[in-house]
Amino acid sequence: MAIESDLDLMLRVREGDAASFEILLRRYRLPLVSYFRRMVRDQGLAEDLAQEVFLRVYKSRERYQPEARFTTWLYRIATNLALNAIRDRRDEVSDTAGDDSEGGPVLERFVDPQPTVEQRLMQGDRERLIRQAVEALPENQRAAVILHKYQEVDYRQIAGILSVSESAVKSLLFRAYETLRVRLEPLRREGRI
Amino acid sequence: MKCLETEKLISYAYRLTDELAASQVRAHLAECPRCREIVQQHARLDALLDEWKAAEPTPRFDARVRQAVEAQQARRDARSFWGWDGARGLALAALGVLIVAGALWITLSHPWDSSSSRVATRQHHPMHGPQTPPETAKIPSPDGTAYPGVNSAQAVRELNLTGASSNEDKDALALEDYDLAANFDLLSELPKGQARVAN
Repeated sequence: MAIESDLDLMLRVREGDAASFEILLRRYRLPLVSYFRRMVRDQGLAEDLAQEVFLRVYKSRERYQPEARFTTWLYRIATNLALNAIRDRRDEVSDTAGDDSEGGPVLERFVDPQPTVEQRLMQGDRERLIRQAVEALPENQRAAVILHKYQEVDYRQIAGILSVSESAVKSLLFRAYETLRVRLEPLRREGRI
Repeated sequence: MKCLETEKLISYAYRLTDELAASQVRAHLAECPRCREIVQQHARLDALLDEWKAAEPTPRFDARVRQAVEAQQARRDARSFWGWDGARGLALAALGVLIVAGALWITLSHPWDSSSSRVATRQHHPMHGPQTPPETAKIPSPDGTAYPGVNSAQAVRELNLTGASSNEDKDALALEDYDLAANFDLLSELPKGQARVAN
């Protein structure tokens, strides 16, 4: 049986076909939860946000216009929700920890509290260090890297998701990957990763 | 040899460039160990980043999404059951009830309006000689203050009870006995000019 395209499924959802929505749910549940988990780290919040994306897709099914790729639309909703959640949480932290316009250090302090012994055992230092390095990136760079590296979204499509030009996306990715190299390469040399 | 810009090297390492530019970078790397090292570091970084594994949704996730969607659909169905037409009809019916209730309230709470008209007519009738002040506005109370807007017959009863002065009492009684229909005929038969003078 041929795999139905997202577009065909979404057009059928628009006509009220619940089965097509179910296929989209199964197709994108893991990518979306993973995306949010990497963006906001907290598993509960990641699932709440992923659920909100599906709900918004369902609510706006009648207004859906197949002008862009379905995944561009899906990840645009997801990215807006993730960035808002990050800003909301950073604002909460700023109230008690002071302002930090760069976003990175405050976010790092917030999203990466000292892990418990159990978490260290389960997670491993390598993964934790990688996660810390990515989470310390400014919001847009982090979104661009996670979309590009982990969600395997093409940089042209990322431009549509972030509503910026393609050259701006390349610039975000250059700076993000170079920052990660500078941060992680010394740890590799020290044998920590 | 002059090194390539870092951006070109990163574009090459992460496949952000077209094939023509990629072949140019490959040619440069063959001769430049420094640029080659940077590209190799990015290749290692790329592999390292793969170790950050994806998070699986919890088993309840799908059920939660379905519940949220069903709840949303139920709300929508409920809205369409009443619909805009239904809501508009209810609003209009409520408005109609308010108007009727308001009209009833005004009618029931101001029964003196008709007698006020009689008083006004009587004041301007030439058969009663010099004009008298409007009783409804100036009937004094025992303590010397006026009864604004008081029904004249009611005022007479109050005056009788409180023993008001005889002149005012007579005037009020005359007002109560005044036959509006009969006197109205007299008024209407007067020539226009005379009526104006009387006024």
